[in-house]
Order: sequence, then C-alpha cells, then structure tokens
Amino acid sequence: MKIGMFNDLLRSAFRRPVTEQYPVERRPTPEIYRGLLVWTPEGCTGCALCAKDCPAEAIELITIDKAAKRFVFRYHADRCTYCGQCAYSCRFDCIKFQSEEWELAELDPEDFTISYGNPEDIALIPVEAGVEVDAEPITNPT
Amino acid sequence: MAFTNNLLSLLIFPAGLALLASGLIFQWADRKMLARFQNRLGPRWFQPFADVVKLLSKEEIRPKGAGEIVFAALPIIALASTLTAALYVPLFGLAPIFSFPGDLIVTIYLLSVLSLSIGLAGAQTRDRFSIAGSLRVFTQMFAYEAPFILALLTPALALFISGTEGSWEIASLVDVAATKYWFVLIMPITFVVALIGLMGKLELPPFDAPEAETEIVAGALTEYSGRGLALFTLARAVELVVGLTLIAALYLGGVGTGPLAPVLFMIKVIGLLIIVVMLQTLLARIRIDQTVSLWWRIGSILVLLQWVLLIAFRMLR
Amino acid sequence: MTTTQATERFIIPIGPQHPALKEPGHFEFSVEGEIVTNATVRLGYAHRGIEKGTESRNWTQNMYLLERICGICSHIHSTAYAIGVEQLAEVEVPPRAQAIREIVAELERIHSHMLWLGVAAHDAGFDTLFMYTWRDRETVMDILEALSGNRVHYSANVLGGVKFNLTEETAETILKGLEFLEERTHHYRRVVENDAFFLKRTRGVGMMTREDALRLGVVGPTARASGVDRDLRNDAPYIAYNEFPVQLITLTTGDLEARFLVRIDELLDCYRVIKEIIAKLPDGPLTVARMPRKLKAGEVISRVEAPRGELFYYIRSTGGESPDRIKVRTPTLCNMGSVVTQAVGHNLADVPMILVGIDPCFSCNDRAIRIEGSINRRHDHLWSWSDLRQYGIDFYRRQLDYSGEINT
Repeated sequence: MKIGMFNDLLRSAFRRPVTEQYPVERRPTPEIYRGLLVWTPEGCTGCALCAKDCPAEAIELITIDKAAKRFVFRYHADRCTYCGQCAYSCRFDCIKFQSEEWELAELDPEDFTISYGNPEDIALIPVEAGVEVDAEPITNPT
Repeated sequence: MAFTNNLLSLLIFPAGLALLASGLIFQWADRKMLARFQNRLGPRWFQPFADVVKLLSKEEIRPKGAGEIVFAALPIIALASTLTAALYVPLFGLAPIFSFPGDLIVTIYLLSVLSLSIGLAGAQTRDRFSIAGSLRVFTQMFAYEAPFILALLTPALALFISGTEGSWEIASLVDVAATKYWFVLIMPITFVVALIGLMGKLELPPFDAPEAETEIVAGALTEYSGRGLALFTLARAVELVVGLTLIAALYLGGVGTGPLAPVLFMIKVIGLLIIVVMLQTLLARIRIDQTVSLWWRIGSILVLLQWVLLIAFRMLR
Repeated sequence: MTTTQATERFIIPIGPQHPALKEPGHFEFSVEGEIVTNATVRLGYAHRGIEKGTESRNWTQNMYLLERICGICSHIHSTAYAIGVEQLAEVEVPPRAQAIREIVAELERIHSHMLWLGVAAHDAGFDTLFMYTWRDRETVMDILEALSGNRVHYSANVLGGVKFNLTEETAETILKGLEFLEERTHHYRRVVENDAFFLKRTRGVGMMTREDALRLGVVGPTARASGVDRDLRNDAPYIAYNEFPVQLITLTTGDLEARFLVRIDELLDCYRVIKEIIAKLPDGPLTVARMPRKLKAGEVISRVEAPRGELFYYIRSTGGESPDRIKVRTPTLCNMGSVVTQAVGHNLADVPMILVGIDPCFSCNDRAIRIEGSINRRHDHLWSWSDLRQYGIDFYRRQLDYSGEINT
C-alpha cells in the first residue's frame, strides 16, 4: 500500500514554513507590476484616448485650456481595474503604473479620487456644493 | 479532607479545568503539527481557546422542529460523559482519581457516549445534512466500535489468559504495565487497531466521513451554533486527551514510579499524538462504505488474529 | 434535466452555498441511503449581464470586460475576443506577439490545472495534496507577475498584439520556475497514480465511455480522458500553435483517475511547449502598426481551447465603435450535463468528486438563458433576440400588475 505524500511530510517537518507573514514581511514587487497610476502633465495633448478606452470609466480628463495644454487628470482609484490599457493608449507616455505603492485601501471614499495636474488648475474644477474653493476662476481665457 | 481533595481534583486539577485546558492545548498541537507537515505556519497557541470563547459568546439558534430540551441537553451530556471518563484514567501521569474493578468497561462506554450524542443531535435536528451526517456517525460507530473495544480489552484479556493477576481495573493494569513490560511488544496488532480506532471515534481524517465538509457541510452538527457547538468542541478535545492517555497507559508501559514518571508519560502521550497527526496528514478521506468494509474486514480479523496468537503463545509455554 | 415524480424523495441540496462549491450553483440530488437516484441542476447564480454590457462599450473596453468573465481563464477569453476582432478588422498580428500570447496562455493553463488539482484533492478530503499544490501554484503566479504585471487578470492582450515584451531576465525567471514545477508535477503524478487511499476515491468513479462522452457533448480534458481526441489547439490552431504545436493527450479509461492523469500530463506538455517557445521566440514588433477604432460590418466566430475545453465566441459588428452582439459559450456549460447524468447510481460521497472532475467554473458558464418551457405558450418556437426582449418586458409588466404574489 503506497502512500504518496510521505516524503513531503518529513521534509516539511524540518523546514521553515512557506507562509509569508504579510504585514511584517513584504515581498518586493517586480517593476512591471501595476500599482497605483501616476500621470505627468508634460506631453499630454488632451486626446483623451485614455478616458475613452478605460473599461471602468476611471479617468476623467478635464480641459481647463486646450490651447495652453492645461488639463486636469482626475483618477478614480476605486473604479480602476489596473488593466493598463490607458498606459498603452497614451502615445506620449504620460501614464505610468508605478510598482511601489499597491496597498491602496482607504477608509474614506473621498480619498480614492486623485486629481493630477497643476494645483491652480485643480482648484478651478467645479466641486460639489457646500465645499470651499480657494482660487479665483479665470475671467478671460487666453 | 478527602472530600475537598476529591472536589479539587474533580474541578481544577487534574480533571475539570486543567483537563479542558489540556484538551484545547492538544487540539492546538494537532492543528499546529498538521500545518507544519503541510509546510505552512499554523495557528498560534491561543487559537482553540479563542474559538471556544467566540462560540460561547454567539447566539444559539435552535432550528424549528428540533426538540427544545434534547437540543440543549445533548452537548452537555457529551461533555459530561467525556469528563467523567477522565476520572478513571491516569491523566498527566498521575494516579486515577477514582478506580474500582471494572472501570475499564465503564470508561470505554463513557467514551462512546460522545459519538452517540453527536449522532442523536444530528438525527433530531431534522435538517437534510444533519440526518445524512448522523446516519454516517452511526454507521461508522457500528463499524469501528467492536474492533476498538476488543483492542482496548486485550491487555486485560492477556493477563487473564496468562494466569497472572488479571483485572478489569485500569489502575492495576497500569501498574502491571509499568512493572513488567510494555504491552505493545506482545500485542502490537491490537495497538495499531486501538490507535486507528481512536481516530475513527474522534472522526479524524481519514475517517471523517461523518463530518465531510465538502459533502454534507458539517454533518450531524450542521445546525449547532454558539454554546452547543462550543460544548461539543470541548467534548471532542477532552476525548482526544482521554483516549490517547488510555492507549498510552495500557500499551506503552503505563505510569512508572519516581518523580519524573508524569513527564515521561506525557512524552509517550505526545508521541502518540504525533503519530495520529501524521496519519491525518498522509491519508485522503475514505467513503463511509469503504470505512465499514475496512473495519469489518480488516479490523476484526486483525484483533481475532492477535487473540489467536496470544492463546497459541500461552498454550506453547 | 427534468425530475421524475417519485412518491418519497430525500433531496440533498448542494449549493448555492456549500463548502464543496467555490461558486454558486444549485444541485439537487435525490438519495436513498447513500445512493443517488436522481439529479438536477440549476445555474444562473453568477449571471452578470456581461453580454448585454458589451453592447454599450467600445471594442477596446470590451476586451477587459470579457477578460473578467472568469478569473482563471481570463487570458483565454481575452485572446478569443482579440483574435475575433482582429479577423473582423483584417489586421495581421506580428509573430512575436502571437508567441507571447501562447506563452501566457500555456502559463494560464498551468495555473488553472494546479488550482484544480488542489481543489479536487480538497473535495476528496486530501488536504495535504491541496496545500502542496497550491504552494507550488504560487510559483506560476509569481512567473506571471514578473511577466505581465499581475497575478490574476494578466491583461496581456491589446487589440492587435500584446502589451509587454519578454526580456532575457523574465525568460530566465520563467525557465527556473518551470524547472521547479516540472519536478513537483512528476511527484504529483506519482501520488495520484499510486496513493492507495486517493485511488479508492478516484479509480472507477464517474465512468464515462467514449459513446457517452460524444452523446453528452463534453469537451476539454473531461472528454479527452474518455478517449475523445479533440483538442482545438491541434484541430484548429490559433495564435502561434502552428509553429509551436502541443501534443494530444488522451486516455481511454474514462474514470476520475483518468481525468486527473490527463490534466497532469497536459501540465507536463505545457512546460515543454513554453521552453520551446522561449528558445525560438521570433523577433519583431509587439503590435500592429494601427488598429482601427471602428470595425467594418461582419460577423466572426473564434474558438480557442480554454483550460476546461472549447471556448466559443460569436462577434457581430455593424460598423460602429461598439459590437452589435457578442455571444460566449464556455466549456463548463457543455460538461455540466454529464455531471447530472453520471451522478445517478453513485454514492453521495462521490458526487462532489464527479462535479469537480469536470473542472466547473460557474462564473464562466452563466452566459446562457434558460426559460421554463411549461409557462410559455410558444415554448417550442425558436427564440430570437427580440422575442426574448419582449418576453422580459411582458414578464415585468405582469409582475407589476399583480400586487403581492409573483406569478411564474
């Protein structure tokens, strides 16, 4: 009568368990890993292919001034599926998925909406009623 | 004085609280060693305690159709019987708290009450999974009970056959085992049958068809929650300790004399636990009909073979 | 799959919530003692309306939606869709991309079969095998993470090619991981073939002859274990299977043990194919130069071999940015009928094993729509899409007319 797993048992009895105790030890992620999305405004022409191709509608590309290439990239980290299509669609390499930050749980759903861009531009976006806005709106667009 | 002594040993040490605590520690050791054999980490030492505390703090839901009194009483009966069975075995290597001639039979009977109560609990809950589970509990009990009981009675029987001071009292059997020789050397076959029969009684894999998680959810105890389930868990844990202690006492040379005797005895018990855990890890679950055929064919034949060998030995001498 | 009316039936329900099922499905087994006398199945618990959802998304977004029909066969769904769309758009994908697609497809097959091995062992009560196979499956998930960027839902495909390249470093990681896995797979093969207690649960259980397999229409390794020699990778090669073919692995025994052995042998073949592709990877670009956003009108069928069997996609376009209709037929739907047929006559304890032997993926198979024949006056009429929509509208209108009771 043969018993298959006997050798495994003996070997494991004297070896360290393979369990990684997660919060204490974190394995490093490979570079290609798709963590949090990062957008850089240099190079963005406002074609919005990233927003059109996103399967989860997680990207809003808000145009402040198309001629002066001022855009605000609003990213919903909770809707994003981290598929990487936006990074592929963008012909100017504005979108990158960095592999360092991937522990993205938040307690407050507001924290999931990340706006990338110049701070003055971000302050111009219409916000929900009742929220304070600091900057002054543009009166004559250049 | 004797009364308070008895009361203390009944409630605190070695039976009572100490027994419950050691039952949970044995359960932890079982789960931890199982995990290490599977190359993973396993629970920390307080996990079974935490489980019992959590269960005790949850609401107990009684399904409609289950008899009120029986539903609440069966877990208590199960725990009470295993705690009582512990009074007659040399727990932790100390002398049994009570002993009288014939207590071997009483202990074996009390150990079976646990399976009976689990089966009854499943049968009167009237849930499909519980009924299927209780059917399997009773079937498995009919299968392994005969070889297991005979295997436990064999040391006493051997003493009777050989004409020396035989008795049905565990304490004197343990003394004989300690002074003369380890019974496992003369009756190894029934030792194996007794150990594996204990696994059948406790429904440990590979004999866990009655509580096959992937077939009938939790078997007979599917509808139990809260306090009832906690008591059944404690009863199972205590039965593990009592069963291993009984087998170690009868077969592995009992409890000797001297100050280190309890420690050596506990080493024997833990050795038996390691063997049980290894068998748990290695073998896949077998179906209930395969369990019955295994026990009725191989189990009984092995016990009878051992008896024939013992008698033949005696005749030849 | 109808029940016969018996006077006394003791029915054991398995699902929708049950420890044996990883995903919801409802089975009812009528038992007498321990023997199953009748079996029915009800599916549809994981129906999410994906096929309808594809109609309102553009071609690129749909790839990711369809990839998420299933977690373990996600790449093959996206591949089937991609090759269908590329056929409609009449673009030719460069050979390097096809080869990388094949590498990811075979790695996914490895992942799926190791996962299945563990789950099947767990259903048999053999938890040790479960833990060890899942420990080794972590290796293949790490390989996929190093190659594609995610452990599940690799998103390797884009319309017209693949997203990432296979570098020297990644190739080395893959080869090292495969060496470890091959040694472990040989060990598991020995365990499955020789372990006495495990054989008691698998040998002779769930016998399906070749005639039965052809009649019930089973696909994939379940069929190949009964002697049906169908493997789409050989019969109708897609992506790079012309240059890097796989071996056809069949057995004639037809019982549960044969299904185990066929899948383990497929694992060994996957290792061989991946090593071959890495050694002879063609050079070239990773995607086509330009992929149109609006496709010409037309309809196309694409069939691929998922880890569970033949996966079938029907894609119809009317010239817009979104498809007109996508129909997905997954292999588990074909194999499900064989479970209810085989289960009769077996012990109740064998039923989870028979179910897991077809490698069920309930999330995959809830694409179909099933209407109870008894309530509809025209139940023998062939339903068209507009009939179905009208039925749905009428149903809910009727529901609102009656207060309180739902009229079914």
